[in-house]
Amino acid sequence: MNDLAIGTKDLAKTYDSIQAVGGINLSVPRGAIYGFLGRNGAGKTTTIKMLLGLTRPNAGSVNVLGMDVRNEPLAILQRTAFVSEKKTLYPALTASDLVHFSRGFYPTWCDSAAEKYARLFEIPMNQRFEKLSNGNQTKVWLLLALCQGADLLILDEPTTALDPVSVDQLMHVLAGDALDRGCTVFFSSHHLEKVEQIAEYVGVIDGGKLLIEARLDDIKNEFRLIIAAGNALPAETSAQVLSVDVEEDFYRYVVTQDAEGFAAALVRNGATVTSISPLGLREIFLHLVRKEQPCTFGNAGAIRVPSSSLS
Amino acid sequence: MYLWKCWRDTRAFFIAFLVVAAAAMPAIGLASRGTDVMRDVGWSAVSGTFGLVTMVTALGLGAIGATHGFAEQATHFLFTKPRSRLYFVWVGWLVGFMEMLTIAAASVLTSWATLAFYRIRPFSAPLLGSIDERNMVGMLLLGLFAYALTYSLTAILRNGLKGLGGSMGILTGINALGVLMRVRWNIDLWPVWSRTSLASMIVFC
Repeated sequence: MNDLAIGTKDLAKTYDSIQAVGGINLSVPRGAIYGFLGRNGAGKTTTIKMLLGLTRPNAGSVNVLGMDVRNEPLAILQRTAFVSEKKTLYPALTASDLVHFSRGFYPTWCDSAAEKYARLFEIPMNQRFEKLSNGNQTKVWLLLALCQGADLLILDEPTTALDPVSVDQLMHVLAGDALDRGCTVFFSSHHLEKVEQIAEYVGVIDGGKLLIEARLDDIKNEFRLIIAAGNALPAETSAQVLSVDVEEDFYRYVVTQDAEGFAAALVRNGATVTSISPLGLREIFLHLVRKEQPCTFGNAGAIRVPSSSLS
Repeated sequence: MYLWKCWRDTRAFFIAFLVVAAAAMPAIGLASRGTDVMRDVGWSAVSGTFGLVTMVTALGLGAIGATHGFAEQATHFLFTKPRSRLYFVWVGWLVGFMEMLTIAAASVLTSWATLAFYRIRPFSAPLLGSIDERNMVGMLLLGLFAYALTYSLTAILRNGLKGLGGSMGILTGINALGVLMRVRWNIDLWPVWSRTSLASMIVFC
């Protein structure tokens, strides 16, 4: 696990009788940008809370930066920066006060970075937190996390309430400054196109189960959209066929593994294959988690991508 | 840094009560010039003012300190700082505790100075009988107990009003029990209560 910034083993959390996270195995390589995706209530925030020791898991283990969360929580927090899903802070403090408050906890704190990001994000540093707009409140959280000099950034919905320009700036900062320092970035987001721009690795969680985790390029190579025309073509999902949409005589298949082989089989059944095209992360995500056509391939790791992709 | 934040959160309340505590007895003295009020009930007034100031300060500081520290909205921020939760609890508690002691000391010192100005012997009030210094210590202990109780309940419930309400409810219940015991069975709980509050303080700590 030492090459991993985050490693979990059979991590599970149950609230009363509701299973929030059901035994997931995360592997986040050091120095990578990892997009953690899922619908609302999929278990992302609960997983993040367990990574930080904010919530105790019912089962499984969490290893962050080579340390067990149960044994060395403070050493982990010393080297980890966090942006919460709820962007609330002390209402009476200004952004400058919050910088003053936070810097004392971290020997690696960087004042020049604080000035730089305050300028970049255009944060009114002398305004009370409660008076800031939602977007500026998010920016204050980001500033505090980015200046910490952390080895690991854990960002839960960091783009909440940000305008498109600020989202773009943040992505540049994460892909540029953070990676240049060798920092690992683990972030959840619903901005899939932004995740696709900067993430090297992606994990998709749904219903507390990790549906897929791999290098983004490998995931995108693995899925294909096949459009075929014909009569009475197969319309059932399977381990290979993720979804099928039928409109008159046109069939849209989303397939994983050996798309060419599947297309050849369709041709043998008398179909005309009009296109085989790669899918973007957004389409893959939607096909993985949409409930009207649920995934039938079960638990974590069911979608096999080359194991070498996780270095 | 957390010490600075705790001080910042409570300083307005602290300064306001410090002024009230320090000015109360001199103001009473000034208002009663030319009468025998200070000679007759001066020490009783000191004792009463001290008790009131201590109790109100205890409840206020307990609720305000813990509310700012552990309100629901900022716990994720605070508890992901590389310090144990006990550290945050104790630093916040200690700041309020020191502020409370300062206010109590200010109340005693200015009261003493006022009595000295009128050449009145402390611990005596001819009209109401003598008041023992142990009563003052008992009031201080009661104040500290109220502070610890309010702080703990507010931190646990993560809500200042609930913490304050719960604490006042418990204190009222204990006092009501004391009155009932005295009236019904002629048992004075005050000495027991002083010791209990001290023991409770130790348990809270």
